[in-house]
Amino acid sequence: MGSPRVFVTGLGFITSIGLDRASVVDSLRHLRHGIARYAPFEGADSPVKLLATVKGFEVDSPDFEDWKVPAGYTLRREVMRSLAPNGVYAWCAMQQCIADAGLAPAEISNPDTGLYAASGGSPMLLFRQMVKMNEVGVMRCPPTGIVASIAGTLNFNLVAGFKILGASTGFSSACASSGHAMGFAYDEIRLGRQKRMFVVGGEDCNRESMLPFAGMRALSVQTDPTKASRPFDAARDGFVGTGGAVVMLLESEDEVLRRGATVYCEFLGWGQGSDGHSVAMSHPQGLGLKLAMERALAASGVAPAEVDYINAHATSTPIGDVSELRAIKAVFGEGGTRPWVSSTKALTGHGLSLSSVMEAAFCATALKEGFTPGSAHIEKLDPEAAGVAILRETLPEAPRVAVSNSSGFGGANVTVVLRRA
Amino acid sequence: MASATNNPSTAQSGVPTPEETQLRESLKRCSPAVVEAAVRYRATKDVQLVPTVVLGIIERFLEPGAAERLRHADDDVRVIEDLGLDSLTLMEAVILIEEVVQISINNDELRSLRTVGDIKVFIDHKVRGLPPPQPSKYLPLEQVAAVMPQQPPFLFVREATLSSAWATGTYTITGDETFLAGHFKDNPIFPASIMLEALGQLAVLYLLEAPSSQLGAPVDPKTIFFTGAEGVRCHRVCRPGDVLKLSVKPKRLRMPLATFEGHIRVGQERAAVAEEVSLTFGFLVEAPKSAEPAPQAASTPPAS
Repeated sequence: MGSPRVFVTGLGFITSIGLDRASVVDSLRHLRHGIARYAPFEGADSPVKLLATVKGFEVDSPDFEDWKVPAGYTLRREVMRSLAPNGVYAWCAMQQCIADAGLAPAEISNPDTGLYAASGGSPMLLFRQMVKMNEVGVMRCPPTGIVASIAGTLNFNLVAGFKILGASTGFSSACASSGHAMGFAYDEIRLGRQKRMFVVGGEDCNRESMLPFAGMRALSVQTDPTKASRPFDAARDGFVGTGGAVVMLLESEDEVLRRGATVYCEFLGWGQGSDGHSVAMSHPQGLGLKLAMERALAASGVAPAEVDYINAHATSTPIGDVSELRAIKAVFGEGGTRPWVSSTKALTGHGLSLSSVMEAAFCATALKEGFTPGSAHIEKLDPEAAGVAILRETLPEAPRVAVSNSSGFGGANVTVVLRRA
Repeated sequence: MASATNNPSTAQSGVPTPEETQLRESLKRCSPAVVEAAVRYRATKDVQLVPTVVLGIIERFLEPGAAERLRHADDDVRVIEDLGLDSLTLMEAVILIEEVVQISINNDELRSLRTVGDIKVFIDHKVRGLPPPQPSKYLPLEQVAAVMPQQPPFLFVREATLSSAWATGTYTITGDETFLAGHFKDNPIFPASIMLEALGQLAVLYLLEAPSSQLGAPVDPKTIFFTGAEGVRCHRVCRPGDVLKLSVKPKRLRMPLATFEGHIRVGQERAAVAEEVSLTFGFLVEAPKSAEPAPQAASTPPAS
């Protein structure tokens, strides 16, 4: 008996470019970005003015009872009180994904269904909690303060709230986190340990979660939303932050057949590699990312020439984008005609722990719905991109094999490979 | 606290103090009457205001249906089982109560607060600076059966909660009670006389097990007998499947007579009332002071 094949069978989107699959696909097809001026950045204390905001949610207040979610979602008070803003996004994305996949309650809560999640926690709630602890004492702090704010908040809340009985944990490799979550979720199914895995990525989208990156000089200080996030452009000056949540459901072939599930694509395999270089900067030659791509292709049984599209990690930082271009050239050659390469972060901004599963989910919809997303906002291509086929408009045809890259702090790199079903 | 004004009108007429502003912010999801009661309490320390504040804070955490229930609740309504608060929400409520009435409640104390009455009495003791009251105690069926002189098939209290001021219990009519075969033919209805018996049994349990009862000495279960009842009225026919919610409160306790008032509800409906149920009782025979306790063992119930 061979290892079971794994398929993507459900998606849920709460993103800066749409709150459901249809609007996300529409934004990707028409290269519509989700970047806006953000009121808490208007002060002179913030060198950064733009954020790729999640519209329709009001979750900036430190008091969760002030929060509002879009019509159609209901979160009871007992649910909301232990959630971070990214937990609210994720709760809604879970509901979307479950509805999308058509899962019955018994198919969610059983020993063969697990959940892996990735979130950076909630610096905003953690900070408010510490202030309250210092001002009025720890015994007046909300009892749910810890589970709402630390990095495991998504898995704590979703596993309990959706009565998950199988494997569950969280991943913490910064911007590669949900890539690791996807990869290890895939492994759980391949190893026969689980039949079905939810993969969840989420991040807050507020001053406390994003502004600290300005201190690293990592954020764009542009004020024009069409110029701020422009991966591969020669004049790029940093990334634009975003939050939200995306949920991807992976299922074994047997479950797909048993349920008669609709399939987005096959999850062929994944690979990872590390830079061993710098805590914050990527290796100049993209050493770890090159290894991740090579391993992912080898594990998937796919030759470089078979890859039609790469959804790049490229966040629009001067150093990071170049590293990735060099790694891509090292793996795929410098012919300059294929595979197509784009970064959807030009539209969405960079979602940190969220970004990897978000971008793999974009690839999954592209494979199913028949398009290849373009890389927006490029005025003058970086000379380093010579020899790489940067796709600057969305193509109305689907790739057959798509690859999605992610890189996190410390030089952690993950690549996943998806194939049209 | 030292800066709090002693004149309630100052706070109302002048600019609110930072303390009052903080208090109003903390209570912003409570009703205006509760906020005003809390502001007045801070200014006057009038303990009469505390129940309004405490119930108002609990209500703010309840679903609308349960809030309505709280407004018409007896003190024996249980906050978790009856009002649907989970333990974390109870903790949230207690933290807000602590902040507003400026007291501290430790974990053991928090665990002992099962009913609305427990919370009211507890907070009242705290703000008056009295030692905390004895918490109510819960007895599952095994413990009820272990201390009661009545035994199945003639035991009509299945679980009970006892405090120094009241006792509550339940009895679920199973339909297997032998007397239902004849009461009535092809029409099983729980006899009113047995409903009165159930209230009497709960009163017996109170005499034997209530924490810090005002009796002063342990009661001998072999000495308790029914003497009379007054003002007994039935309001509802009870059938198999009904859960009788029994409650009794002592009206007079003085050896050898104990008088209780009792109520039975099914769900939210009144089923029966007894204005007075009276029992005679005697204390366990005192062993000589400082004697070994061993000889007494024979006169206590076997399982106690």
